[in-house]
Amino acid sequence: MKTLKNQYSYYLVLPALLIYSIFFVIPAFAGFYYSFTDWRLDRLTLNFIGWDNFTKIFSDKTLTLALKNTLIFAVVTVVGKNLIGIALAVALNMKLKTRNLLRAIFYSPSILSILVIGIVFTPMLRTEGTINRMFEAMGLDSLSQAWLTNPSLVIWTIAIISIWQHAGFQMAIYLAGLQSISQEYYEAATIDGAGSWKKFTNITLPLLLPAININLMLTLIGGLKVFSEVFVLTGGGPGNASQVVGTIILRSFGEGSWGLGTAINTLLFVAVTIIAIPLLIFMRRKEVTE
Amino acid sequence: MNKQMKKMSTVVLVGLLSVSLAACGSGGSKAGNTAEGGGSNGGGAGEKVTIELAISKSSQDSAFIQQDLLDEFEQKSNIKVNLQLIPAEQTTTVLQTKLAVEETPDIIQYNLASATTDLNLERNFEILDNEPWASRIVNKDVLSAYGHIYSFHVSQDTGMQGVVYNKQIFEDLGLSIPNNFEEFLQVCEKIKASGVTPVFMPYKDAWAANVWPAAAFADFVAKSDPTFFDELNSNKRKWSDIPEFKTFLQQQYDVYKKGYTNADVLSDSYDMAVGKFLNKEVAMMFMGDWLIEGVAQQDPNMKLGVFPIPSVEGAKLGASPLGGQLFIPKKAKHLKEAKEFLNFLATKEVAQKIVDAKGYVSNFSDVTTPELPEYKQEIVDKYITPKNTVLTTDAYMLVDRSELYRLLQDQFAGGLTPEDVLKAWDEKFSQLMKDKEIAGF
Repeated sequence: MKTLKNQYSYYLVLPALLIYSIFFVIPAFAGFYYSFTDWRLDRLTLNFIGWDNFTKIFSDKTLTLALKNTLIFAVVTVVGKNLIGIALAVALNMKLKTRNLLRAIFYSPSILSILVIGIVFTPMLRTEGTINRMFEAMGLDSLSQAWLTNPSLVIWTIAIISIWQHAGFQMAIYLAGLQSISQEYYEAATIDGAGSWKKFTNITLPLLLPAININLMLTLIGGLKVFSEVFVLTGGGPGNASQVVGTIILRSFGEGSWGLGTAINTLLFVAVTIIAIPLLIFMRRKEVTE
Repeated sequence: MNKQMKKMSTVVLVGLLSVSLAACGSGGSKAGNTAEGGGSNGGGAGEKVTIELAISKSSQDSAFIQQDLLDEFEQKSNIKVNLQLIPAEQTTTVLQTKLAVEETPDIIQYNLASATTDLNLERNFEILDNEPWASRIVNKDVLSAYGHIYSFHVSQDTGMQGVVYNKQIFEDLGLSIPNNFEEFLQVCEKIKASGVTPVFMPYKDAWAANVWPAAAFADFVAKSDPTFFDELNSNKRKWSDIPEFKTFLQQQYDVYKKGYTNADVLSDSYDMAVGKFLNKEVAMMFMGDWLIEGVAQQDPNMKLGVFPIPSVEGAKLGASPLGGQLFIPKKAKHLKEAKEFLNFLATKEVAQKIVDAKGYVSNFSDVTTPELPEYKQEIVDKYITPKNTVLTTDAYMLVDRSELYRLLQDQFAGGLTPEDVLKAWDEKFSQLMKDKEIAGF
C-alpha cells in the first residue's frame, strides 16, 4: 500500500483538480459572492447588499410558494419512485416468463425525452382529455379533475408524472442490488420457516440498503432540483401555482435580476447539501455487509 | 506528508492564480486584436470595412438583411454587412451580454418596446434624431422612446390588436360589429346558439390573456386619464387606482364564465388558433391581426377581420408597438459605416423597394404604400387613417410583463379577483421599477 502511495506523487492530481476548480469550484464561489449583490442586467456596477436578496426570497409570496412546491415534489417523488421501484424490482426478480419484456416496458419511460412526455400528457390531462374520459367511463366521475389547471392539484399531478417516468429507472438499480444478494440466505431462512414478508424485511431490505441509499440520494437531489417537468407541463402555471425553485430562477434571470436569481440558486445548493449529506451519513451507518 | 500537502496546495494556488491572470491576459489581447483590426479596416480610404449586424434567427425574413440588398450596399459603399444570427430563444440574453461586455455588433435588429425593457436603450444606443432620413419620417412615435428617435424602420404598420373575427360567420348570422360590451355579449349568445364557439381563449399561453386589457386600459387612459401612464411610471399612481381597469378584467372573465369560450381555456394554447379558425370551430378571438395573416397563408379564402375590444362604447383599435427596428449601439466599432447603412436603406428607391416587397404601410413621406391585403386595407381605411387607434399598454411599461400575464392567467384558474390581479401587479411592478432604479420608486 505504502509503495503505491509513494509511486505516484500528488502532483498528478493537478490537471484534474485544475479543471474541476475552473469549471466548478470557482463558479460556485463566484455564485456565493454574486448572491449578496444587486447584480442586474441594466446596471454597470454591482453593490454588496448583504442579505437583502435572501430576505426578499422569504418575503415574496411566489418564492415561498415555489419553495413549498419544491418540497412537496421532492417528498412525493422520493417516496413514490422508491416504493414503486422496489415493488417492481422484487416482482420482476421472480421467475416470470415475461420478465425481460416487463422490465423493458417499465424501464422505457425513463429513456423518453421530457419534451415528448409533456406533449403526450398535456392533452391527456385536459378536463375533457383521455384520463378524465376513462374515469367517467368507469363511473368514477368524482375522480375526473382539472389535472394541470387546478392550482391546488397541479404540483401533485406533475409529481405523479415524474414518478411514472422514473420509477423504472429506480427499479433497474434495485434489480441490480437484488441480484447481488446470495440465494443461500433465502434458502436458510426457508429452512428456518420464515415467510416471504419476513424474508423481505430481514434479508432483502438490509442487503439492499446500498441500492436504497443511492436511489434516495438520486431521487432527493433530482426532486429538489426539479425544473424540466414543470417547465414542459405547465411553465409554472396556471398563474404561479406550480412554480418551483428551478422555474423561479429562470424567471428571475428573465426579469434581469441576476443577483436574486443567483441567490435563489445558492439557497437551493445549500438546501440540497444540508438535506443530502446528513442523510447520506445516516444511511451509510445503517448499511450491513454480507 | 504534511510538508508535501503544503507544497502541493501552494502549487495549486499558484496554478489557479496564473490561470486567472492568463484569462485576463487573453481577454486583453483579444480586445487589442479587434481594436487593431478595426484600425486597419477604417484606416486607408477605399479599403473594405465589415460591419456586424446581429439579428434573431427567427427574424431571418427581415427585409433589411436580404442578400441582394446587402450586395447592392456593398457595391455602392464598399462596406460589407456580416450577419450574426442569434438563436431565437437566446436573443435577449446574448444581446444583453454583448452590450454588457461592450463587444457590441454595429447594428442590432430588435423590437423597440422590448429594447426599452430588456436592453437599456438610453445607456446602450445612439439617438438618431439628427440623421438625414429623420425629417422624412411620417410617424416618429413608432421609432421613438423617451422623446428621441432610437431606431429605424421603413414601416409604420405596427400590428393591430382587437377582436379577430370570421366575417363569413357574422354575415351568415346577420351580425354586425358590436359597439359596446352589452352588444358583444349579445353577439356571443347568437353565435353560441348557432353551434359555434364564440370566443377562443388560448390562455395556457399567459400572454394571450393580456390582449383584452392591454387595449381596453390604453383606450380608457387615452380618453379619460391621459396623464396616467406618466404618473404610473413615476410612482404617483397605481394600477389598482382606476376602478375601470377592474371592470375590464371582469368583462373578459365574464365572457368565459357565461360559457362563450372553449371549455378548457387554461389547457388550450395559441398555436391551436389557426386550426380553430380554419375549421370554423370558433368565430372570434382577442388577438393581433398577425393571426389573420397566419390563417390567410393556409387558406386565402377565409375572410377574417378585426374590430376594437368592445370594453366601452366606441373604443379604439389597439396598436401594438412596432417591432423589428434597427438600432445602433453607442459602442459600435464602425459607427459611421453603420449609419451609412441606415442612410442607404432610407433612400427613396431602396425604401420603396422594401415597402413594395413586404406590403408595408410606408413611414416615409416620399415613399408610397403599395396595394395591401384586403383586411389590412380595411384597417388602414377604418382605423389608421382616421386615427382611430391607440397604442396598447405594452408601449408604456418599462419592465418585464410576464408576471402580469401570469396574474391574468391566475384569474382564470380561479385564484384571483380583478382587484387581486391589479394589487399583486402593483406590488411586482413597483419592485421591478425599483430594481431598474426609476426615479420615484
